[in-house]
Amino acid sequence: MIHLDHAATSFPKPAAVLAAMRRWFDEVGVSADRGDGERCLLARREVDATRGRVAALCGVPAHRVAFTSGATEALNLVLRALLRPGDTVLTTAFEHSSVVRPLVALRGERRLRLEVLPPAADGGLPVDAFAAALATHRPRLAVFTHASNVTGAGLDAAAFCDRARRAGCTTVLDASQTAGLLDLRVGADVVVASGHKALHGPPGIGFVAARDGLELPPQKQGGTGSSRALDEHPTTWPQAFEAGTPNTPAIFGLGAALAWVQQQSPAALLAQSLRHVDALATGLAARPGVRLLLPPRERRVPVLSLVHEHYDPSELGALFAAAGIQVRTGFHCAPWLHAHLGTERTGTVRLSPGPQLTAADLAAVLAAC
Amino acid sequence: MDRYSRQIRVAGIGTAGQQRLRDAAVLLVGCGALGTHAADALTRAGVGRLWLVDRDVVEWSNLQRQVLFTEADARAGLPKAVAAAARLREVNAAVEVAAHVADCSLAFLDALPAPPDLLLDGTDNFATRYLLNDWCARERRPWIYAGAVGSEAAAMVVPVGGPCLRCLWPEPPAQSDVGNCETAGILAPAIAAVSAFQVAEALKLLVGAEPTRGVFTCDVWRGSYQTLALARRPAAGCPTCSGTGYPALSAPPASAVTLCGRDAVQVDPPQRHPVDLDQLARRLGPVVQKLDRTPHLLRFEVDGCRFSVFPGGRALLFGVQDPLRARALYDRWIGLP
Repeated sequence: MIHLDHAATSFPKPAAVLAAMRRWFDEVGVSADRGDGERCLLARREVDATRGRVAALCGVPAHRVAFTSGATEALNLVLRALLRPGDTVLTTAFEHSSVVRPLVALRGERRLRLEVLPPAADGGLPVDAFAAALATHRPRLAVFTHASNVTGAGLDAAAFCDRARRAGCTTVLDASQTAGLLDLRVGADVVVASGHKALHGPPGIGFVAARDGLELPPQKQGGTGSSRALDEHPTTWPQAFEAGTPNTPAIFGLGAALAWVQQQSPAALLAQSLRHVDALATGLAARPGVRLLLPPRERRVPVLSLVHEHYDPSELGALFAAAGIQVRTGFHCAPWLHAHLGTERTGTVRLSPGPQLTAADLAAVLAAC
Repeated sequence: MDRYSRQIRVAGIGTAGQQRLRDAAVLLVGCGALGTHAADALTRAGVGRLWLVDRDVVEWSNLQRQVLFTEADARAGLPKAVAAAARLREVNAAVEVAAHVADCSLAFLDALPAPPDLLLDGTDNFATRYLLNDWCARERRPWIYAGAVGSEAAAMVVPVGGPCLRCLWPEPPAQSDVGNCETAGILAPAIAAVSAFQVAEALKLLVGAEPTRGVFTCDVWRGSYQTLALARRPAAGCPTCSGTGYPALSAPPASAVTLCGRDAVQVDPPQRHPVDLDQLARRLGPVVQKLDRTPHLLRFEVDGCRFSVFPGGRALLFGVQDPLRARALYDRWIGLP
């Protein structure tokens, strides 16, 4: 099986990830901050270490990292915590449903005004257009993905955050497609990501990493293992965002994944994956009927979308599947972008390789269609 | 009991037999031509509980032979089980009729409140028949196979203890080998003839009489009707009859998923099964539209749906959103075992 669906989830996971999770089940079995035994200390040590690694990845203090079930929960909590009635929100046409749907729901609940930045003719999102939108719409919050999960187009997050800060606008960066590949220390007020994509962690774990001083009141109340005597949920971080029993085995797995990514170096993982994208693009561009939806080369991530003149994306997906190749077809949960790509009727075929693809794999992919 | 007086007078039924009919529960699998004929007859005969299961909707082309349906049902596109149940309640309000718009899957059968006393085959595919065969063997319930295509039909009682369908054919035949009503057509009297055998055997089983042993076959065009003798004992090595295994109960069901954001459903057969797309194209050529054989797949349009069929048996059905409907169309036009 050839996995060309790393933009959805990475496969295979490093052996260390499974070993770390296994260790929790074999030797730990309890949550950190839920008791005082030796095993609770083991759990706390590992959870703290993972929190520290996420903090280093995003450039925030460790106590400003909260674990969530994934980027979706993280975005829901953050947007609910930050948005007030009547706010104007600036976002982009690249966004995933995990941004779009909470925003649309909140628009109804809190009378938000949504401004959506369309892609430029080259398929990118230039800083100038973002700056112009900031000046025109005066948003209180900007939420944007670091890179499109459809075309792989990335944006200059550092410049976006810089312009927003100067305009007095809070920034939320969705790094789901870039965590593990790009530097996330870009000055965003909040960074969210899922652990199971390029970070190579297990599903069921993601995080919110917030700048110190940014107020993020709890949106979900419950047990935290601390402040046990109080009947009000604590507002101190990270407990504020971590109600309920945490997914400690996944936190163990994420910790090992982060260590693996650092050891490999995100830049090297990105370069390897992009080489595979280039090889695929070159091979597929030569096929009659194929149209590649290529982004600007600068800041792109390893995602390649295409459509075919004579085949529906779902037909191509079935052909790849028959050859043992896992790709993704359709809209990729990015409801706004397809109108700009001309793919609103059928979506695209998306090939997103990881770093480990072999030459034989590449040949098999090109032979399959 | 007055409404049943003529039936009670028949030797073999009597008052006791009529009472047994009233106490019985029968599951009718499929509400097509066979199913509606049997349902009508059993409802009039006074069977106590009649459970109908069908996943499809009434279409215009059904009215030629599916006796419970009206033009209004077809115009409304009503689920067959629902339309049939409504009609049956008008025929005999004393019969408890339950309509299930569902796939007759293992999960469906296992979720029945209790195994029925008898199951009748009104399906159009062998995958479901082998499921019925194995499930009935495990639950120790009789069922009656019936099928018809063109002017020919066949039926057979599968009594508790066998011989069963698997004794005759250890594996389901490929649908493309046996033809179906869509490609070979169907003559309504062939249904009526085989239904007469099936319902008579049903009544006999329900009142406790000995069923006919053998395979009933007929060709109403040629005017030939016969019952072929069959070994009275199960075939040696039949896993179902020996109880060593029920292959159809361990096979994973076919999957059908609606494609996100698309007016399309992807159907995957339970096992990858090489499909000869050229042969399928030849068979379907006369009855479908826009047949297109590419190097990779076969496309055609029929029943308001565009099919793309792949060599492994997977199919994409465009123009359909309901997975049940897609499964029904898949079984009708591609119909892998």
